[in-house]
Amino acid sequence: MTRADVTGHLVAAVAEVLPGVPVELIGGDRHLRDLGADSVERVEIIVAVLDRLGLDEPLSSFTDLPHVEAMVDFLCERSSR
Amino acid sequence: MTAPVGVEAMNVYCGVAQIPVPALFAGRGLDPARLDNLMMRQRSVALPCEDPVTNAVNAARPLLDRLGPETVSRIELLVTSTESGLDLSKSVASYVHEFLGLSRACRVLEVKQACYAATGALQLAAGHIASGFSPGAKALVIGTDISLVDEDAAYAEPAMGNGAVALLVGDRPEVLTLDPGAFGLYSYETLDSARPGPTFDIADADRSLYAYLDCLSHSFRDYRSRVETADYATTFDLLAMHTPFAGMVRAGHRKMMREFAGTLPAAATDDFERRVAPSLVYPAAVGNMCSGSVYLALASLVDHADVSAGARVGLFSYGSGCSSEFFSGLVDARSARAVGAAGIAGHLAARAELSFDEYAGLLPATRRSLLPERDVVLEPERHAGLLARYGDRRDLLIRTGTKEHHRTYEWAVAGSR
Repeated sequence: MTRADVTGHLVAAVAEVLPGVPVELIGGDRHLRDLGADSVERVEIIVAVLDRLGLDEPLSSFTDLPHVEAMVDFLCERSSR
Repeated sequence: MTAPVGVEAMNVYCGVAQIPVPALFAGRGLDPARLDNLMMRQRSVALPCEDPVTNAVNAARPLLDRLGPETVSRIELLVTSTESGLDLSKSVASYVHEFLGLSRACRVLEVKQACYAATGALQLAAGHIASGFSPGAKALVIGTDISLVDEDAAYAEPAMGNGAVALLVGDRPEVLTLDPGAFGLYSYETLDSARPGPTFDIADADRSLYAYLDCLSHSFRDYRSRVETADYATTFDLLAMHTPFAGMVRAGHRKMMREFAGTLPAAATDDFERRVAPSLVYPAAVGNMCSGSVYLALASLVDHADVSAGARVGLFSYGSGCSSEFFSGLVDARSARAVGAAGIAGHLAARAELSFDEYAGLLPATRRSLLPERDVVLEPERHAGLLARYGDRRDLLIRTGTKEHHRTYEWAVAGSR
């Protein structure tokens, strides 16, 4: 799976939980909370993207990821295993 | 065939005061858009004359009065579970034992494992009862805590509650008959929230939320490894979970339905309303009671769902730090009678409604209530006005201070009718 594929799944997961967020904001050094996601919505975004990628990964793996770019890096690494 | 063991009777105490969560949001300048996912209506507020001892006694005293002296005399084990400890050696249970007037032929313990501790104590007590070492013996497990959070806790402040849940454990269960051998465990070390000192908490909101949800999934997987036919979507007629805030339980249920039943969140709404929402009525009006939280959720479930034909309940207990357990039991019409006898809805409705200014005025003194000071005097008259605003009449143990490190208490009357 390419990085673009992983990013596409993350964008779809954000759209599922926060339909109003512009796609161009989903990336870079923004944290999910910078997109307006509260703690429950952050969980739902992570659960949704893991489901879309078919990954069985603990949520605690995401605790210290500083921004969306780091989340994409992490998901790419896990998807390539 | 293992003899039935479980919760024979229960009672809860959620304080004599509450503040509506929207008023707390307004007072702190919090974003009201966040109310939807918090799903909290009110939170119970401790008075400065309350502490984990008074909460525990005020939960258990009406229960023991209902049970009568013969049953009370069979209580051979008293466990208080709390993360609101008062002394590094002397237990909360020692005071509670005294003010409940329990037999001196009694094992007395305090346990600590954050919000999970009452469940650990319940399971150990159930094992003791089931062992038959002391036929007919009862255990009294009381989860009791107070909240210390202030504005520094941001959105956690409106979610924290106050109070205690008292559970009588024995071999004539009416509230909840535990499914023998049906449990799942998941625990590991993390610093998601803690109380490093007697006046403040620390919390990492995301770490705690993620740990809770990971524990929910993994403790259920462990449950399923012991109960091979278990299915999250079909085995449990109802579900009650530790409730840090009601919206978190909804998020947890959605995650579980997606993970174990392949159901997307939008399609899980009906299932949530049917199996989970009845458990959130009381927690949404009280806040996180910590150790007693999952049992307040159980009481809410029994009081608000139709259990008359019998129902299997899945329960999830989580404590920061962290440790967790998914277990199950049976409830039926006897449960409805036993929980109904506690009159919980009436108790919650009777709490005095505080304005934000009243709440903020009480908080600095309440936040000192766990401090280990040599001498303290708390004038009972100081809070008499608030006690009188309680909408029912009941005896209430209140703290009057500390004398040479020994906490002092007296019985007062709450309510004026």
